[in-house]
Amino acid sequence: MNHPTLSTSRPFRIGFVPLTDAAPLIVADALGLFARHGVMVTLSPEAGWAALRDKLAFGSLDAAQLLGPLAIALAVGAGGLRRRLTVTAGLARNGNTVVLSPALAAAIGGADMPLDAHRLAEAIHARTEEGLPPPTLAVVFPFSSHNYLLRHWLAAGGLDPDHDVRLVVVPPPRVARALADGAIEGFCAGEPWGSHAVANGAGRFALATGDIWPDHPEKVLAFGEGIAAREEDAVIAITAAVIEAALWLDDPANLPAAARLLQDRAFPELPLSTISAALEGRVAAAPGQASRSLAAPMRFATATCPQRAEAAAWLAAMRRWGHAAADEAEALAPWRSDLWERAAARVSPRPAMGRAIPSPLLSLPLESDA
Amino acid sequence: MGGVHLRVLLIDTDANRANEVQIGLELAGFQVVAVSSDTVDLVGRVRESRADIIVCDLDDPSRDALESMRVLNRDEPRPVVVFASRGDADQIEAALEAGVAAYVVEGLAPARVRPVLEVAIRRFRAFQALRAERDEARATLAERTVIERAKGILMQRRRLSEADAYRLMRRWSMDRGLKMVQLAEEILIDK
Repeated sequence: MNHPTLSTSRPFRIGFVPLTDAAPLIVADALGLFARHGVMVTLSPEAGWAALRDKLAFGSLDAAQLLGPLAIALAVGAGGLRRRLTVTAGLARNGNTVVLSPALAAAIGGADMPLDAHRLAEAIHARTEEGLPPPTLAVVFPFSSHNYLLRHWLAAGGLDPDHDVRLVVVPPPRVARALADGAIEGFCAGEPWGSHAVANGAGRFALATGDIWPDHPEKVLAFGEGIAAREEDAVIAITAAVIEAALWLDDPANLPAAARLLQDRAFPELPLSTISAALEGRVAAAPGQASRSLAAPMRFATATCPQRAEAAAWLAAMRRWGHAAADEAEALAPWRSDLWERAAARVSPRPAMGRAIPSPLLSLPLESDA
Repeated sequence: MGGVHLRVLLIDTDANRANEVQIGLELAGFQVVAVSSDTVDLVGRVRESRADIIVCDLDDPSRDALESMRVLNRDEPRPVVVFASRGDADQIEAALEAGVAAYVVEGLAPARVRPVLEVAIRRFRAFQALRAERDEARATLAERTVIERAKGILMQRRRLSEADAYRLMRRWSMDRGLKMVQLAEEILIDK
């Protein structure tokens, strides 16, 4: 690798939320990959998505790990704030789990994993007949893959996500405690928080989001408005370092080191075994039970190319639930596979494009067709 | 808004800082109705507090839940003023222009806080009025809800997949010359 230090070598501030899929950023920093590509980077841990978004929008962060649907929301001004970000890489595929309280899991009874939403629907209808309120389930942000994948799964089971359950937002590091406290009866959140809730007895594993849409794209690397145009070379260098980190992460030999790095930088409060299991895509249904491998575990290397065709599924979901009604070209404009191509050309071996199974979120007829 | 005491819900996970901010807000003439920190049922607390405006720190994790109240349009959204301890003047101006939720003020100097909160409330109301007009024009949210509920009933009653239930409703609506939403309403009444 022979990349001279860039003349514009100001430090870039990159935000992340403590989640397993922040791994490519944490690894790129810890292994010195940013420096090898000639850029200075400071990683900044953030408490939640609203804080991270605002810092990215108002310039106190230059780039961040971001929810794909949040980049769309910013592009079309769906949350009130409008910013044209630049998405130059995907950080992971899959990697979220749906976890239910032991009581709700018991009400559903012995069911195969991944849980069929019809089984949850039966349990909820039985509760409704007893005059009990619908269960409260948490997602991590309104404009999130978690929200849209969970809604799709619920609807496929005949449940109306806006009536038959109560959906609330709880930041990822708090979901396990909210479940233990009885404030929520289930959640869909990024790992390792689901594994943590199962390991400490607060929850029972129901399914992974990769069971809903196998190999769905997850978080992205997004740059603040205008940065890619002004400092293109640095943006490509940062992207190349993240791609290299993703390749390193997909080598099983590096898993123990990756788990230790994540513990150091993101989850000092969690045991190494929980973080390793999350990285490997192994889950136990209940504490003490033997773990099994997920059909679609977290992937890094095949996630890096940001693809509009995949992001279109988030836009379809946002339209379905009335969260955005926007022009597709405008909504997906942040996804820049051309910048990824130029970054990938600096990495050896050149990473594969990667492709998800066609999204079920795109296969449903939309009400607007009626 | 002049003479009226605006009710402020202050959310802060840091009790010491919350205390300082509360004193500042009261000096600026606000009625601080609740100080809630680390609350899981934030939506319930916001509703109970009957607050006119919510004030919280840029880095407070509660902000994600507040965001959901605004986006999901279901739980009487309130204007939110976000304050940051750091940040330069340019950033603050940009935040004010964005006009909806994220008003970033440098600290909470009593002299500065009152106009910022009042502007936040006015802009928020204007935005809500715009949104209400837009929603009325489309009326999609209500129609969608009715259609989703009717579909759920059909799926349960006839053990159909979601796509099959939708196709069935679509066929019925075409056969009978009804709009999807009218048919869905009939299904709900029959329930």
